[in-house]
Amino acid sequence: MDRDSAEWWELAATGVLAVQRCDACGLTRFPARAFCAACRTEGWSWAPLAPMGVVESWIVSRWRAPEPFTVVRVRPAEARGCVMYGTWRGEREPRQGERVVAVFTERPSIEWRPEDAGGHAT
Amino acid sequence: MAKRLLEFRDATALVGIGYTPFSKDSGVSTLTLACRAVMSALDDAGLTPDDVDGIATHRVGDSAAPSLVGPALGIDAPTWHLDQFGGGSVSHAIVGQAALAVAAGIADVVVCYRAINARSEFRMGTAPNPSPETQYLAPYGYGAPVQQFAMYARTHMLKYGTKAEDFGRVAIRQRAYAASNPRALMREPITMDDYLASRPIAEPLRLLDCCLETDGACAVVVTTAERARDLRRPPVLVSGAAWGGGDSFLAPGEPTVTAAAALAPRLYGMAGVGPTDIDVAELYDCFTYSVIVQLEDYGFCAKGEGGPFAASGEGPPVNTHGGFLSEGYVHGLNHVAEAVSQLRGDAGERQVAGAEVALSTAQPGHILPATSALILRRG
Repeated sequence: MDRDSAEWWELAATGVLAVQRCDACGLTRFPARAFCAACRTEGWSWAPLAPMGVVESWIVSRWRAPEPFTVVRVRPAEARGCVMYGTWRGEREPRQGERVVAVFTERPSIEWRPEDAGGHAT
Repeated sequence: MAKRLLEFRDATALVGIGYTPFSKDSGVSTLTLACRAVMSALDDAGLTPDDVDGIATHRVGDSAAPSLVGPALGIDAPTWHLDQFGGGSVSHAIVGQAALAVAAGIADVVVCYRAINARSEFRMGTAPNPSPETQYLAPYGYGAPVQQFAMYARTHMLKYGTKAEDFGRVAIRQRAYAASNPRALMREPITMDDYLASRPIAEPLRLLDCCLETDGACAVVVTTAERARDLRRPPVLVSGAAWGGGDSFLAPGEPTVTAAAALAPRLYGMAGVGPTDIDVAELYDCFTYSVIVQLEDYGFCAKGEGGPFAASGEGPPVNTHGGFLSEGYVHGLNHVAEAVSQLRGDAGERQVAGAEVALSTAQPGHILPATSALILRRG
């Protein structure tokens, strides 16, 4: 991780899904950047989000791995202009447009579980 | 259009192309590969290192720098050099930049090379990536080019109904071209059954969707159009060169549109041609899907129709050397060299009859947020 992202990872380690919100124009952005690309100002705050996302795409990767694993490309439900990736924690293949719940691991990392699998964000 | 852009059109020429053999283990250094490709290209042009005053390459920490290649060939004081960071996104950018340097009079003869041992030394996806964005991918075992293009390919399939068989047709057609290309690493014809049975690498992409990890080098020589007329080969003019932005893998843009869509109108405008004028297209094919999306973004068909369009074989012949899928992958310059060969009319059995205008493109901007392309014309 780099200096710009250190706080994002600290938040993730405490179970918070966050993006930056521009103090001047309110645009949300991810990953961490000093400047807002829309209004070109530096002031920003962390915006904690509901730990929910929407699946945009996925792959089933066998590239240099003993077992296939699935990676999803997700838009956070409350910041649809941002893109995140994560391991899929489901028993079936993802579906485009389905809602998923962020699962925070100790590494730290954020994985994604289908909402219909039940339960709440951990 | 700006007057100076019009002055750039056809002011410079590609006058020589050179290759080393493509293999899975070159047994030599990238410095040796680079020197051999440069000497081959200069010989093709009827020039020697004494004529060279500019050297350009692109690399990602995996290859010999111009500051090594120049002295190794006795080119001790080039007046211009370029050591561009980047992979396939900038393969065509270095040729465009060399053409700019020549057009501006900074250099007279520039040799552009790319040398890699991409199978035996530095395999794709394994070199350290300095981008701060990889921290958001690596924890998930994600980030290799095949994985990223698979992610984009799936969005295209979901949105437009693009089929695996459409990808397969691209692979099959390019393999058929490779059969008559003595440089090609893979020349055995393949069928749709072969394609569909090839093992999944990152679904929806299969082995036969992927380019070949290759050891080898390729070089091209750029000089003025005026000087080109006195050289050994028929000149191939640089009608247009364009650079574009791109979307990183964390960008919020529409995933089925590449940066080529914004670059294409500028490139065509600079060259004074449109998609229907293109006689042969060498399109960056790190994976079959990148051909399909570029057929759309360079205007050969409408957005979303790239799959059936590619499968039908409509439009200009694409990747006549077999492309990265079947000839070999030296990161882009071999597309430029094949376009030159087609426009000179020396492509042998795979020659496109009467080819006068060619499009050659770099990686369309999905991984490194940059792209580049050239339009070349028979002089």
